[in-house]
Amino acid sequence: MENDGKRRAFLKVLGLGSVTLGTAGYSVVSEAGKAEKKPHYGMIFDQNKCVGCTDCEVACRKVNDVPQGQVRLYVENKTDPATPMDKKYVRVSCQQCEDAPCVAVCPSKACHRDAKTGIVTMNPDDCIACKYCIVACPYDVRFINKKTKAAENCNFCLGTNLSKGKEPACVESCKYKALVFGDLNDENAYINQILHVKDSVRIKPTYGTKPSLRYIPVVKVGV
Amino acid sequence: MNGAMNFTYGFSHGVEWGWPIAVYLLLAGISGGALIVALLVRFYKKQQVDTPLLKAASLVSFATIALGMVFLVGDLEKPLYFWKILIHYNFASVMSIGVMAISIYIPLTLVMCLYLFEKEISIVLAKKSKRVGYFEMVMRILTRFRPLVEVLSVIFAVIICAYTGFLISVLVRFPILNTAILPALFVVSGLSAGTASAGMVASWLFKEEIHSSDLKTLHTIEWPIMAVEIMLIGMLFVSLLVGNEFQQITTVAFKSGLYATLFWVGVMGVGFGLPLVLNFALGKQIAHSQMAFYLCGMASVLGVLCLRMFIIYAGQTFGI
Repeated sequence: MENDGKRRAFLKVLGLGSVTLGTAGYSVVSEAGKAEKKPHYGMIFDQNKCVGCTDCEVACRKVNDVPQGQVRLYVENKTDPATPMDKKYVRVSCQQCEDAPCVAVCPSKACHRDAKTGIVTMNPDDCIACKYCIVACPYDVRFINKKTKAAENCNFCLGTNLSKGKEPACVESCKYKALVFGDLNDENAYINQILHVKDSVRIKPTYGTKPSLRYIPVVKVGV
Repeated sequence: MNGAMNFTYGFSHGVEWGWPIAVYLLLAGISGGALIVALLVRFYKKQQVDTPLLKAASLVSFATIALGMVFLVGDLEKPLYFWKILIHYNFASVMSIGVMAISIYIPLTLVMCLYLFEKEISIVLAKKSKRVGYFEMVMRILTRFRPLVEVLSVIFAVIICAYTGFLISVLVRFPILNTAILPALFVVSGLSAGTASAGMVASWLFKEEIHSSDLKTLHTIEWPIMAVEIMLIGMLFVSLLVGNEFQQITTVAFKSGLYATLFWVGVMGVGFGLPLVLNFALGKQIAHSQMAFYLCGMASVLGVLCLRMFIIYAGQTFGI
């Protein structure tokens, strides 16, 4: 009898244990499934198409209310002086790193990754403007907004255009389709279709911060 | 294609962390260095009485770190929001870790001051008998923990010195800053400035004889500290010289321009040269004079200030 009771208790524990572990395991699996569905927004800048008109800069400043003399997005002229007719431009803006140093160093968690979209963005109210993120950024694309006195970066128009279901202002305004915005985790997205067929590079990948911006360089013409 | 896809334009304006940060780095170094040296002397010599050196070091360490906070908070664009750091801790940030260490270190230095100035504080409070009572009660409890507080003070003083190095060595964009040697250099130069400051204050405020046993000890350890400091700076320079393209470019900072002047005149000339000349080149009479003692001390502190200024300014000028 005594033994029987022990066996019964043992079976009870076994049964309960397998039920708990099973459900726990299932929930872990389902959570992993959910995590995969999280978006990873990226952008392509096609140097072949950019003519340097700076419409994107103007649109960005207007939509995001960037103070006079400051920019979240800048089009740098990188034309080789030896070949002045072969114009080359490069988009300068936040690279939306997957391992963002700005997020890592921010002491007040003002610079953070948006929970829903995964976009690196700012909470200006929590920013104490210590400028740590500005010096930590390998790309030097952050600044203190003169009006809000908080650090700022390109966040793909997260709080403005994106929240209204529109594309980022720069993408919208580009007449030459030099910019493509989309979810890199969505296999069917247009951005992935382009990345499948075109060679693209990332700026300064050796920093190991995994930037989300891709650049399609001008292909050398002739020999 | 190589080099074509890159941008050189940046949104920051040159040196974002300016002289207030350099001064803060100096003050944190002095604070930590003074306390480390004085307490290690106490442990090594097994001192039981409160020496003028320890008095001076405690006062210096508390005063400099408190003043340092003024510079640190003052450099924020939104200084009145500094408390946000205290409620939103980010354990991945060296700044957050540093703030945490500081919030333990400052109370430790304050308690050290209470131990060493117990008599003086009692005299001031003597007019109000009630307050003296409370003070004596607090001190009776605190005195029990004195050995623990002293050990913790040394540990946290080292952490404070080292964290100021890590704070800027994590900045990958700047080759002069992003080196493993920087935290070590900051600890050693902190010791150098701390030794000088504690010695000067001990003699000036607490009337310690400049040829006393403790100050002689400080005077003896000054030279090895200086030698290690020079060695670390030399290593930093060589690592840049033999490094990649970007690291090599930064060596210009040591060779020409304003920063080179700051380095050779300030760090090398005033910080190392002047104390060496005063002590060894001009004869024993000058070397043992009161004037030489204070001049050497001030030169050491000034040299370390120049070193921090050089690191901060040259460091942020030469980015990748």
